[in-house]
Amino acid sequence: MRKHCTMMELLAVRDGEAGAWAREHLTHCPHCQQELELVHQRAAQLRALPAWRPPRDRWAAVRARAQRERRSEVLRRGTWGALALAAGLALMVGVRSAMPNGAGSLPEPVARAGEAQLASLMDESRELEAALRSYGPEGRVLNARAAGIIADLEDRIALVDAGIAQVGRRGSRDDLTDLWRSRVYLMDALVNAHVTRASYVGF
Amino acid sequence: MTMTRATVGVIGVLDDIAVAQAKTGDLTALERVYRAYEGMVYSLARRICRTEEDAEDVLQETFLEVCRSIRRFRGAEPGSLTAWVKRIAANKALMRIRRQKYRDADDLPEDGAVAGQRAPDVGLQLDLEAALLRLSETSRAVVWLHDVEGYTHEDIAEMMGRTVSFSKSQLARAHQRLRGWLGGE
Repeated sequence: MRKHCTMMELLAVRDGEAGAWAREHLTHCPHCQQELELVHQRAAQLRALPAWRPPRDRWAAVRARAQRERRSEVLRRGTWGALALAAGLALMVGVRSAMPNGAGSLPEPVARAGEAQLASLMDESRELEAALRSYGPEGRVLNARAAGIIADLEDRIALVDAGIAQVGRRGSRDDLTDLWRSRVYLMDALVNAHVTRASYVGF
Repeated sequence: MTMTRATVGVIGVLDDIAVAQAKTGDLTALERVYRAYEGMVYSLARRICRTEEDAEDVLQETFLEVCRSIRRFRGAEPGSLTAWVKRIAANKALMRIRRQKYRDADDLPEDGAVAGQRAPDVGLQLDLEAALLRLSETSRAVVWLHDVEGYTHEDIAEMMGRTVSFSKSQLARAHQRLRGWLGGE
Protein backbone atom coordinates (compact mmCIF):
# COMPACT_ATOMS: atom_id res chain seq x y z
CA MET A 1 0.00 0.00 0.00
CA ARG A 2 1.44 3.39 -1.04
CA LYS A 3 1.89 6.01 1.61
CA HIS A 4 2.23 9.34 -0.26
CA CYS A 5 1.97 10.88 -3.72
CA THR A 6 5.02 10.94 -5.96
CA MET A 7 6.26 14.26 -7.35
CA MET A 8 4.83 13.34 -10.73
CA GLU A 9 1.42 12.75 -9.14
CA LEU A 10 1.58 16.07 -7.28
CA LEU A 11 2.40 17.86 -10.51
CA ALA A 12 -0.43 16.03 -12.24
CA VAL A 13 -2.81 17.18 -9.50
CA ARG A 14 -1.63 20.75 -9.95
CA ASP A 15 -2.09 20.54 -13.72
CA GLY A 16 -5.52 18.86 -13.45
CA GLU A 17 -4.34 15.57 -14.88
CA ALA A 18 -4.15 13.37 -11.78
CA GLY A 19 -5.74 9.96 -11.34
CA ALA A 20 -8.47 9.20 -8.82
CA TRP A 21 -6.13 7.75 -6.17
CA ALA A 22 -3.90 10.86 -5.96
CA ARG A 23 -6.87 13.24 -5.86
CA GLU A 24 -8.57 11.25 -3.13
CA HIS A 25 -5.35 10.82 -1.15
CA LEU A 26 -4.73 14.56 -1.12
CA THR A 27 -8.06 15.22 0.54
CA HIS A 28 -6.88 13.65 3.79
CA CYS A 29 -3.04 13.63 3.77
CA PRO A 30 -1.51 16.77 5.37
CA HIS A 31 1.99 15.74 4.23
CA CYS A 32 1.02 15.61 0.55
CA GLN A 33 -1.08 18.75 0.90
CA GLN A 34 2.00 20.56 2.16
CA GLU A 35 4.14 19.16 -0.64
CA LEU A 36 1.59 20.31 -3.19
CA GLU A 37 1.65 23.76 -1.63
CA LEU A 38 5.45 23.77 -1.98
CA VAL A 39 5.09 22.90 -5.67
CA HIS A 40 2.80 25.91 -6.11
CA GLN A 41 5.23 28.12 -4.17
CA ARG A 42 8.22 26.99 -6.22
CA ALA A 43 6.45 27.76 -9.49
CA ALA A 44 5.43 31.18 -8.15
CA GLN A 45 9.01 31.89 -7.09
CA LEU A 46 10.27 30.88 -10.53
CA ARG A 47 7.81 33.23 -12.20
CA ALA A 48 8.92 36.02 -9.85
CA LEU A 49 12.59 35.75 -10.78
CA PRO A 50 13.82 38.96 -12.37
CA ALA A 51 14.14 39.27 -16.14
CA TRP A 52 17.59 39.46 -17.68
CA ARG A 53 18.75 42.21 -19.97
CA PRO A 54 21.20 41.46 -22.79
CA PRO A 55 24.65 42.78 -21.88
CA ARG A 56 25.35 44.00 -25.40
CA ASP A 57 23.31 45.31 -28.28
CA ARG A 58 23.21 42.62 -30.97
CA TRP A 59 21.01 44.46 -33.45
CA ALA A 60 23.93 45.69 -35.58
CA ALA A 61 25.11 42.10 -36.02
CA VAL A 62 21.60 40.84 -36.80
CA ARG A 63 21.05 43.64 -39.28
CA ALA A 64 24.37 43.04 -41.04
CA ARG A 65 23.68 39.32 -41.43
CA ALA A 66 20.12 39.90 -42.56
CA GLN A 67 21.39 42.30 -45.21
CA ARG A 68 24.04 39.84 -46.37
CA GLU A 69 21.46 37.10 -46.64
CA ARG A 70 19.13 39.37 -48.53
CA ARG A 71 21.89 40.22 -51.00
CA SER A 72 22.73 36.54 -51.44
CA GLU A 73 19.08 35.79 -52.07
CA VAL A 74 18.85 38.56 -54.64
CA LEU A 75 22.04 37.27 -56.23
CA ARG A 76 20.67 33.74 -56.35
CA ARG A 77 17.39 34.90 -57.84
CA GLY A 78 19.30 37.22 -60.15
CA THR A 79 21.46 34.45 -61.55
CA TRP A 80 18.89 33.62 -64.21
CA GLY A 81 18.65 37.28 -65.10
CA ALA A 82 22.42 37.52 -65.28
CA LEU A 83 22.57 34.44 -67.47
CA ALA A 84 20.05 36.03 -69.79
CA LEU A 85 22.11 39.23 -69.78
CA ALA A 86 25.27 37.27 -70.54
CA ALA A 87 23.51 35.41 -73.33
CA GLY A 88 22.31 38.69 -74.79
CA LEU A 89 25.78 40.20 -74.59
CA ALA A 90 27.33 37.09 -76.14
CA LEU A 91 24.83 37.34 -78.98
CA MET A 92 25.64 41.00 -79.40
CA VAL A 93 29.37 40.24 -79.50
CA GLY A 94 28.80 37.45 -82.00
CA VAL A 95 26.74 39.66 -84.29
CA ARG A 96 29.30 42.45 -84.06
CA SER A 97 32.20 40.15 -84.97
CA ALA A 98 30.24 38.79 -87.95
CA MET A 99 29.66 42.27 -89.35
CA PRO A 100 32.01 44.07 -91.75
CA ASN A 101 34.79 45.99 -90.09
CA GLY A 102 33.37 48.96 -88.21
CA ALA A 103 29.68 48.17 -88.84
CA GLY A 104 29.17 46.60 -85.42
CA SER A 105 30.91 49.29 -83.50
CA LEU A 106 29.24 50.52 -80.32
CA PRO A 107 28.54 54.19 -79.89
CA GLU A 108 30.92 56.50 -78.08
CA PRO A 109 32.26 56.43 -75.41
CA VAL A 110 31.88 52.65 -75.13
CA ALA A 111 33.76 52.04 -78.35
CA ARG A 112 36.78 53.93 -77.01
CA ALA A 113 36.82 52.11 -73.73
CA GLY A 114 40.16 50.42 -73.42
CA GLU A 115 42.17 48.55 -70.88
CA ALA A 116 43.07 51.72 -69.02
CA GLN A 117 39.46 52.81 -68.77
CA LEU A 118 38.37 49.44 -67.37
CA ALA A 119 41.17 49.53 -64.80
CA SER A 120 40.22 53.10 -63.90
CA LEU A 121 36.57 52.13 -63.34
CA MET A 122 37.62 49.17 -61.17
CA ASP A 123 39.86 51.47 -59.12
CA GLU A 124 37.04 53.95 -58.74
CA SER A 125 34.71 51.19 -57.56
CA ARG A 126 37.27 50.03 -55.00
CA GLU A 127 37.71 53.60 -53.75
CA LEU A 128 33.97 53.94 -53.30
CA GLU A 129 33.85 50.62 -51.41
CA ALA A 130 36.61 51.93 -49.13
CA ALA A 131 34.77 55.22 -48.64
CA LEU A 132 31.64 53.31 -47.69
CA ARG A 133 33.52 51.13 -45.22
CA SER A 134 35.19 54.13 -43.60
CA TYR A 135 31.75 55.69 -43.18
CA GLY A 136 30.75 52.67 -41.04
CA PRO A 137 27.21 52.13 -42.36
CA GLU A 138 26.52 49.10 -40.12
CA GLY A 139 26.69 51.21 -37.00
CA ARG A 140 24.33 53.92 -38.19
CA VAL A 141 20.61 54.24 -37.88
CA LEU A 142 18.61 54.95 -41.01
CA ASN A 143 15.09 56.13 -41.50
CA ALA A 144 12.72 53.83 -43.39
CA ARG A 145 12.99 55.73 -46.67
CA ALA A 146 16.79 55.79 -46.66
CA ALA A 147 16.88 52.09 -45.70
CA GLY A 148 14.60 51.27 -48.64
CA ILE A 149 16.72 53.26 -51.09
CA ILE A 150 19.90 51.65 -49.80
CA ALA A 151 18.46 48.14 -49.98
CA ASP A 152 17.37 48.81 -53.57
CA LEU A 153 20.83 50.06 -54.53
CA GLU A 154 22.49 47.08 -52.86
CA ASP A 155 20.19 44.74 -54.78
CA ARG A 156 21.09 46.44 -58.07
CA ILE A 157 24.79 46.24 -57.27
CA ALA A 158 24.39 42.53 -56.54
CA LEU A 159 22.79 42.05 -59.96
CA VAL A 160 25.57 43.99 -61.69
CA ASP A 161 28.13 41.87 -59.80
CA ALA A 162 26.41 38.74 -61.05
CA GLY A 163 26.60 40.15 -64.58
CA ILE A 164 30.30 40.94 -64.14
CA ALA A 165 30.94 37.41 -62.94
CA GLN A 166 29.14 35.93 -65.94
CA VAL A 167 30.46 38.28 -68.61
CA GLY A 168 33.97 38.32 -67.16
CA ARG A 169 34.44 34.71 -68.14
CA ARG A 170 33.37 34.98 -71.76
CA GLY A 171 32.35 38.53 -72.65
CA SER A 172 34.32 41.31 -74.25
CA ARG A 173 36.21 44.08 -72.50
CA ASP A 174 33.69 46.64 -73.75
CA ASP A 175 30.80 44.76 -72.16
CA LEU A 176 32.74 44.48 -68.92
CA THR A 177 33.49 48.18 -69.03
CA ASP A 178 29.79 48.97 -69.32
CA LEU A 179 29.01 46.79 -66.33
CA TRP A 180 31.81 48.33 -64.27
CA ARG A 181 30.59 51.78 -65.22
CA SER A 182 27.13 50.82 -63.94
CA ARG A 183 28.70 49.52 -60.76
CA VAL A 184 30.58 52.77 -60.17
CA TYR A 185 27.40 54.76 -60.77
CA LEU A 186 25.45 52.62 -58.28
CA MET A 187 28.26 52.60 -55.71
CA ASP A 188 28.46 56.37 -55.93
CA ALA A 189 24.70 56.58 -55.37
CA LEU A 190 25.00 54.15 -52.45
CA VAL A 191 27.71 56.20 -50.76
CA ASN A 192 25.65 59.34 -51.29
CA ALA A 193 22.55 57.67 -49.90
CA HIS A 194 24.45 56.65 -46.78
CA VAL A 195 25.99 60.08 -46.32
CA THR A 196 22.94 62.18 -47.02
CA ARG A 197 20.33 59.54 -46.01
CA ALA A 198 17.97 61.58 -48.09
CA SER A 199 17.78 61.42 -51.79
CA TYR A 200 18.64 59.16 -54.68
CA VAL A 201 17.96 59.73 -58.33
CA GLY A 202 16.76 56.52 -59.97
CA PHE A 203 19.01 54.65 -62.35
CA MET B 1 0.68 30.54 -22.44
CA THR B 2 1.18 32.82 -19.45
CA MET B 3 2.78 36.23 -19.55
CA THR B 4 6.10 36.52 -17.77
CA ARG B 5 7.42 39.70 -16.23
CA ALA B 6 9.80 40.10 -19.12
CA THR B 7 6.85 40.15 -21.53
CA VAL B 8 4.83 42.76 -19.68
CA GLY B 9 4.81 46.02 -21.55
CA VAL B 10 5.69 44.56 -24.92
CA ILE B 11 2.19 44.42 -26.32
CA GLY B 12 1.12 47.88 -27.25
CA VAL B 13 4.65 49.04 -27.97
CA LEU B 14 4.45 47.56 -31.43
CA ASP B 15 1.44 48.64 -33.42
CA ASP B 16 -0.01 46.90 -36.46
CA ILE B 17 1.69 49.35 -38.80
CA ALA B 18 5.12 48.56 -37.40
CA VAL B 19 4.46 44.84 -37.79
CA ALA B 20 3.18 45.34 -41.34
CA GLN B 21 6.31 47.36 -42.18
CA ALA B 22 8.54 44.71 -40.63
CA LYS B 23 6.85 42.10 -42.82
CA THR B 24 8.04 43.99 -45.89
CA GLY B 25 11.61 43.63 -44.67
CA ASP B 26 11.93 47.25 -43.56
CA LEU B 27 14.99 47.22 -41.34
CA THR B 28 13.85 50.16 -39.23
CA ALA B 29 10.59 48.36 -38.42
CA LEU B 30 12.49 45.13 -37.77
CA GLU B 31 14.68 47.01 -35.33
CA ARG B 32 11.54 48.08 -33.49
CA VAL B 33 10.54 44.42 -33.22
CA TYR B 34 14.03 43.67 -31.90
CA ARG B 35 13.88 46.48 -29.33
CA ALA B 36 10.45 45.35 -28.16
CA TYR B 37 11.40 41.72 -27.66
CA GLU B 38 15.15 41.58 -27.00
CA GLY B 39 14.66 41.45 -23.22
CA MET B 40 12.06 38.71 -23.38
CA VAL B 41 14.14 36.61 -25.76
CA TYR B 42 17.40 37.07 -23.88
CA SER B 43 15.74 36.30 -20.57
CA LEU B 44 14.24 33.08 -21.90
CA ALA B 45 17.55 32.08 -23.50
CA ARG B 46 19.47 32.91 -20.33
CA ARG B 47 17.22 30.63 -18.30
CA ILE B 48 17.63 27.73 -20.68
CA CYS B 49 21.25 28.08 -21.75
CA ARG B 50 24.07 27.83 -19.30
CA THR B 51 26.20 30.78 -20.28
CA GLU B 52 25.69 34.43 -21.09
CA GLU B 53 27.45 33.95 -24.42
CA ASP B 54 25.11 31.16 -25.45
CA ALA B 55 22.11 33.28 -24.53
CA GLU B 56 23.47 36.15 -26.61
CA ASP B 57 23.94 33.82 -29.57
CA VAL B 58 20.37 32.60 -29.16
CA LEU B 59 19.22 36.22 -29.11
CA GLN B 60 21.03 36.87 -32.38
CA GLU B 61 19.86 33.65 -34.05
CA THR B 62 16.29 34.29 -32.97
CA PHE B 63 16.11 37.73 -34.53
CA LEU B 64 17.87 36.61 -37.65
CA GLU B 65 15.11 34.01 -37.98
CA VAL B 66 12.54 36.73 -37.29
CA CYS B 67 14.04 38.83 -40.12
CA ARG B 68 13.93 35.80 -42.45
CA SER B 69 10.44 34.60 -41.58
CA ILE B 70 8.32 37.55 -40.47
CA ARG B 71 6.79 37.94 -43.93
CA ARG B 72 5.21 34.52 -43.39
CA PHE B 73 3.86 35.48 -39.95
CA ARG B 74 0.07 35.42 -40.14
CA GLY B 75 -1.01 36.05 -36.54
CA ALA B 76 -3.60 38.75 -36.06
CA GLU B 77 -4.85 38.46 -32.50
CA PRO B 78 -3.14 40.39 -29.65
CA GLY B 79 -0.09 38.61 -28.33
CA SER B 80 0.38 36.39 -31.36
CA LEU B 81 3.62 38.09 -32.37
CA THR B 82 4.90 37.70 -28.81
CA ALA B 83 4.06 34.00 -28.83
CA TRP B 84 5.63 33.57 -32.28
CA VAL B 85 8.89 35.28 -31.32
CA LYS B 86 9.00 33.38 -28.03
CA ARG B 87 8.48 30.07 -29.78
CA ILE B 88 11.39 30.81 -32.14
CA ALA B 89 13.56 31.73 -29.16
CA ALA B 90 12.63 28.56 -27.26
CA ASN B 91 13.40 26.43 -30.30
CA LYS B 92 16.75 28.12 -30.85
CA ALA B 93 17.70 27.72 -27.19
CA LEU B 94 16.68 24.05 -27.16
CA MET B 95 18.56 23.45 -30.39
CA ARG B 96 21.61 24.99 -28.81
CA ILE B 97 21.54 22.84 -25.69
CA ARG B 98 21.01 19.76 -27.84
CA ARG B 99 24.11 20.60 -29.85
CA GLN B 100 26.34 21.30 -26.92
CA LYS B 101 27.68 18.80 -24.46
CA TYR B 102 28.04 20.43 -21.13
CA ARG B 103 29.02 18.59 -18.03
CA ASP B 104 25.64 17.61 -16.67
CA ALA B 105 25.07 18.75 -13.12
CA ASP B 106 22.61 15.90 -12.72
CA ASP B 107 25.59 13.59 -12.63
CA LEU B 108 26.40 14.97 -9.21
CA PRO B 109 24.69 13.27 -6.30
CA GLU B 110 21.76 15.34 -5.10
CA ASP B 111 23.27 15.94 -1.71
CA GLY B 112 26.85 16.18 -2.97
CA ALA B 113 28.79 19.15 -1.69
CA VAL B 114 30.59 21.30 -4.21
CA ALA B 115 34.26 21.81 -3.37
CA GLY B 116 34.71 24.73 -1.04
CA GLN B 117 31.10 24.72 0.09
CA ARG B 118 29.43 23.31 3.13
CA ALA B 119 29.65 19.62 3.90
CA PRO B 120 26.63 17.48 2.97
CA ASP B 121 25.54 16.98 6.53
CA VAL B 122 25.09 20.71 7.03
CA GLY B 123 22.26 20.61 4.53
CA LEU B 124 22.81 22.28 1.22
CA GLN B 125 20.58 25.29 0.96
CA LEU B 126 20.81 27.07 -2.36
CA ASP B 127 18.91 30.05 -3.54
CA LEU B 128 16.59 29.51 -6.43
CA GLU B 129 18.90 31.01 -9.05
CA ALA B 130 21.78 28.77 -8.02
CA ALA B 131 19.50 25.75 -7.78
CA LEU B 132 18.20 26.36 -11.30
CA LEU B 133 21.73 26.52 -12.63
CA ARG B 134 22.51 23.24 -10.92
CA LEU B 135 19.77 21.42 -12.81
CA SER B 136 20.63 19.71 -16.06
CA GLU B 137 19.91 21.89 -19.06
CA THR B 138 17.08 19.63 -20.16
CA SER B 139 15.38 19.66 -16.75
CA ARG B 140 15.86 23.39 -16.43
CA ALA B 141 14.44 23.99 -19.88
CA VAL B 142 11.38 21.86 -19.14
CA VAL B 143 10.63 23.42 -15.76
CA TRP B 144 11.07 26.92 -17.18
CA LEU B 145 9.03 26.35 -20.32
CA HIS B 146 6.22 24.61 -18.44
CA ASP B 147 5.98 26.40 -15.10
CA VAL B 148 6.99 29.91 -16.18
CA GLU B 149 6.30 30.27 -19.89
CA GLY B 150 3.17 28.14 -19.79
CA TYR B 151 3.94 25.65 -22.53
CA THR B 152 2.11 22.33 -22.31
CA HIS B 153 3.93 19.03 -22.15
CA GLU B 154 2.75 18.43 -25.72
CA ASP B 155 4.38 21.70 -26.85
CA ILE B 156 7.61 20.89 -25.05
CA ALA B 157 7.72 17.34 -26.38
CA GLU B 158 7.29 18.67 -29.92
CA MET B 159 9.97 21.33 -29.50
CA MET B 160 12.41 18.88 -27.96
CA GLY B 161 11.63 16.05 -30.33
CA ARG B 162 10.79 13.81 -27.38
CA THR B 163 7.66 12.25 -25.89
CA VAL B 164 5.10 13.81 -23.55
CA SER B 165 6.16 11.28 -20.88
CA PHE B 166 9.74 12.51 -21.20
CA SER B 167 8.64 16.08 -20.58
CA LYS B 168 6.55 15.05 -17.56
CA SER B 169 9.33 12.99 -16.03
CA GLN B 170 11.86 15.79 -16.56
CA LEU B 171 9.51 18.23 -14.83
CA ALA B 172 9.04 15.88 -11.89
CA ARG B 173 12.77 15.33 -11.71
CA ALA B 174 13.43 19.07 -11.69
CA HIS B 175 10.89 19.68 -8.93
CA GLN B 176 12.22 16.78 -6.90
CA ARG B 177 15.73 18.19 -7.07
CA LEU B 178 14.71 21.75 -6.37
CA ARG B 179 12.75 20.43 -3.41
CA GLY B 180 15.86 18.67 -2.14
CA TRP B 181 18.15 21.64 -2.63
CA LEU B 182 15.82 24.36 -1.46
CA GLY B 183 14.22 22.47 1.40
CA GLY B 184 10.82 23.45 2.73
CA GLU B 185 11.19 27.11 1.69
